[in-house]
Amino acid sequence: MTDPLPSSPSGQRIVGRLQGFLRRLREEGVRAGSAAGVDLGRAMQVLPALDRNAFRNACRVTLAKSPADLARVDRVFDEYWSSLGSVPVPPASEEGKRPRSHERRGAPGPLPPARRPRAEAADRQTVEGRYSPQAPSLGHPVAPVPPERLRHYRSGARRFRRATATLPGRRWERAPRGSVDLRRTARHGLRTAGEWVELAQRDRARRRSDLLVLWDVSGSMREHTNELFALVHVLQRTIRRTRVFAFGHEIEEITPLFRGQSYERALPDLGGRLFAAGGGTQIAHCLSEFRRHWGAIVRPTTTVLFVSDGWDLGESPDLAWELEGLRRGVRRIVWLNPYAADPGFRPETAAMKAALPYLDLLTSPARFPRPYRNSGRRGEGRGAA
Amino acid sequence: MSDAPSAPAFAPSVDAVMEALSSQEYVIDRGLATAVFLAVRLEKPLLIEGEPGCGKTEIAKALASATGAELIRLQCYEGLDASASLYEWDYPRQLLSIRLHERDRTTSEVETEIYSERFLLRRPLLRAIEGSGAVRPVLLIDELDRADEEFEGLLLEVLSEFQVTVPEIGTIRAKRIPIVILTSNRTRELGDAIKRRCLYAYIGYPTVEKEVEILRRRVPELPARFAGEIAEFVQRLRGQEDLAKRPGVAETLDWANALLALGEDTLRAPTVAETLGLLLKDARDLETYRKARLGVVLATP
Repeated sequence: MTDPLPSSPSGQRIVGRLQGFLRRLREEGVRAGSAAGVDLGRAMQVLPALDRNAFRNACRVTLAKSPADLARVDRVFDEYWSSLGSVPVPPASEEGKRPRSHERRGAPGPLPPARRPRAEAADRQTVEGRYSPQAPSLGHPVAPVPPERLRHYRSGARRFRRATATLPGRRWERAPRGSVDLRRTARHGLRTAGEWVELAQRDRARRRSDLLVLWDVSGSMREHTNELFALVHVLQRTIRRTRVFAFGHEIEEITPLFRGQSYERALPDLGGRLFAAGGGTQIAHCLSEFRRHWGAIVRPTTTVLFVSDGWDLGESPDLAWELEGLRRGVRRIVWLNPYAADPGFRPETAAMKAALPYLDLLTSPARFPRPYRNSGRRGEGRGAA
Repeated sequence: MSDAPSAPAFAPSVDAVMEALSSQEYVIDRGLATAVFLAVRLEKPLLIEGEPGCGKTEIAKALASATGAELIRLQCYEGLDASASLYEWDYPRQLLSIRLHERDRTTSEVETEIYSERFLLRRPLLRAIEGSGAVRPVLLIDELDRADEEFEGLLLEVLSEFQVTVPEIGTIRAKRIPIVILTSNRTRELGDAIKRRCLYAYIGYPTVEKEVEILRRRVPELPARFAGEIAEFVQRLRGQEDLAKRPGVAETLDWANALLALGEDTLRAPTVAETLGLLLKDARDLETYRKARLGVVLATP
């Protein structure tokens, strides 16, 4: 393969600019590694060098890995490649370095050269704070839960995984009983000169759990954040096919915040990014948005786990309508209410009342995944998971 | 990596890709054409995500037709494994061979015989790597999000090295690196490792102008004015907030063909109501729009 990046002085300048561009993208959350940078360099060699649109398209194709990344690449591209003037080449040691934690959290830190003038100008302006119902409330650190509580959640998550994976899948697996596995029997027969000494058995493998967590991060849920973060994290680690969405008055996917992170690492690293949304909860609106934007990920095998206290500013009939629609497309709906562990708890908020007919299980973090204390064995919904 | 020269005859430029795919009646924008061009030139797999029915699979078919290459399709599903995607030994024939030769050959001769390529069943990935045609084959790995994470792991070696190791035979390397298109409907997030090895493109719903052009190309019997009417109606339908499943381009094409078959030349409410099932594939959506909302969508300019 030819050298993807030229070694002439002008080539070095371009390399410097590209490094700065990649660094800005990483700060914005695009996971563009060195290999993607090399791909971009190779792409530039086969595309018209002075065609801005071709360059933009090459950046999109080589650096983005999701629709959200595409939007980020476009935004940073416009911002970064519109700035004029020379840009210092970053030191080689910067390449491949992980962004510092304050950069990842969006906290103030050293800005890259291309953005610094604008940011400094903004810093000089007086910022006047006003109340906005759309604005998130202040962020707060997430504290670790005791190890025994974590073990309890892990055990609950494993039980939940077993309970939610019940449908036989298309995959076959070895089994002591079932149908004769001719392929394996024949393969074993090769060891004994073609004699079938033993008939191997097989059966349908159980399909894996497929979990969607819809986590209410409104202000009223703030005091439960530590427990819920631990539980959601454990669920995400236990059930591989888990996607996590945070909602308040809007809904957004936060699965990448959990993926590949141990609990101990996730706490300091991700806790600072979990902001409880102010302005109240609109469950029906968020559910409608979820079905609109992410409806395709819902499958008949999916278990939906609502994590909410049920305090809702929206209309209950709307919530019932949305849940009815969701109910038809999923296997189970489970509601995890942090107050359900209280001895006197009754699901009597408007949202809880509207939701109950569509629930398979109402539970609390402490009893997860068993029904809440005041219910019968199968909960007050359609039945336990 | 590859024994064949890497400079491809196909795709000397983005314009050539647009022209080639356009000749297959595939309407493509410059961004997507750049992605295809780079996938061909850089010999990297192209991961295409997007809304269902918007042409992800079709692009691989069009590419194969345009290049005259063999299209090798691997449809993913839960439980897909190496034996269904890479290779498998033909056990019944091996057993038969053992029985036939157990008297006249030694054990080692029989063993060498039954573990030869003659008894190897080639599955799509191996077929793509062995690609015997004059041009690079197009390997379509369709709906990768339906497969398990383990299968993604299996793909890593194949897509980065373009080689397959069969323990009994050795490593089989690609003579010509295939053009690899992976598609995903984003029902689950694919792993970072597989994404890193791929270029990326996203196909969303088309604009009304693009959809009219697609209709004109794919359903040439459709009058221009009627195509515009259909495209605008579908666009309005897609814009409805409460739809559980939005119609893709494939649904639009099916609907247009159905309307033509019914002898229609303009959108009339009764026919639209009768054929709405071709556009809306969710029972609740269908019920809602047939009963109450269809008039509103039809009447909206």
